[in-house]
Amino acid sequence: MVEGRKPPSLRQLFLLFLKMGALAFGGVYSMLTFFQRELVEKRRWLDHDAFAEGVAIGQITPGPPIVNTGIYIGYRLKGLRGALATTAGQVLPGLLMVILLAYGYAQWKTIPLLTAVLKGVGAAVVGLLASMVVKMGRTQTRTAAAAAFAVAGFLLLHFLKVNPIVLILLAGTAGWFLYGRA
Amino acid sequence: MLLAQLFGILFLVNAFTIGGGYVMLPLLHDFFVTKYHWLTNQEFLDAVAIGQISPGPLTTMNAFIGFKVAGLAGAAAAAIGSYLPSLLIATFVTKHYLAFKDSRVVAAVFNGIKPVVVGMLAAVALQLGGTSAASLPALAIVAGSFLLMFFTAVDPTFVILGAGIAGAFLF
Repeated sequence: MVEGRKPPSLRQLFLLFLKMGALAFGGVYSMLTFFQRELVEKRRWLDHDAFAEGVAIGQITPGPPIVNTGIYIGYRLKGLRGALATTAGQVLPGLLMVILLAYGYAQWKTIPLLTAVLKGVGAAVVGLLASMVVKMGRTQTRTAAAAAFAVAGFLLLHFLKVNPIVLILLAGTAGWFLYGRA
Repeated sequence: MLLAQLFGILFLVNAFTIGGGYVMLPLLHDFFVTKYHWLTNQEFLDAVAIGQISPGPLTTMNAFIGFKVAGLAGAAAAAIGSYLPSLLIATFVTKHYLAFKDSRVVAAVFNGIKPVVVGMLAAVALQLGGTSAASLPALAIVAGSFLLMFFTAVDPTFVILGAGIAGAFLF
């Protein structure tokens, strides 16, 4: 919670995640951008620090990372019931659509159109994600050391294809050496 | 007992893989196509495609698999099996993280992790850009959505919807 902000009700939390679950076409990174916009910027239920922690915890726990990040957010705001609300909210619309598509599976004819639509969405997600990265970068890289960490994370993932979980563990170890022993 | 089997397989796969939908695909393929022959190869590929075109996590595709295997009850068993491990493990980790986050060691560890997450997301954006922004119209959508999100308070919903409509005409 950002200081001085009233925590959301369980119902508000569930409905917001339901909305994001229904609209975040284009994969996990689309959903992540929704989280940042709705929870950090618009409602200010979380700050960028808490959000970045949630992304990291989502990555290093088993199961789908975006669901885990949602659980972190739900638990942080409303405890166990919050975690259930964010999980149900973010997966129910997709589940419903998948089941409807399973019913109509034999007679899909709309798939080429849907594919074209999703190409457009896929391109938009890149723009959304880039905007989120720049905004997070401004709050998370205020010191030279933090900026160096971010650049290292980028280079190691982009060029050396280091496994993301290994990367997070390395970053945590480096953080411990750098900041933990004052 | 088919439902219990479905639930059990998906529970195990989700509890023992870190990294999400794509990491799970080889394991799911092994169980559902190779070992139990519940799905053909084509049906498995269709499940992935359906997961990709639906909003939310790719793992919703597991409900499609469950539905093909055992109808609506199968879809429900598959969904519960897929998300229960997260609810147990991520809740446990979050609870303990929040209890210890102000300790010097945990705070130091996450001081290292947080900026790296930003760098990693930048790498992901670049990588997605390489595949999604392969043509001039796609590049225009990337630039347009970035500018809208960065400089205005527009809801991402409209950016996504607008880009989908543009995609229908352009691609």
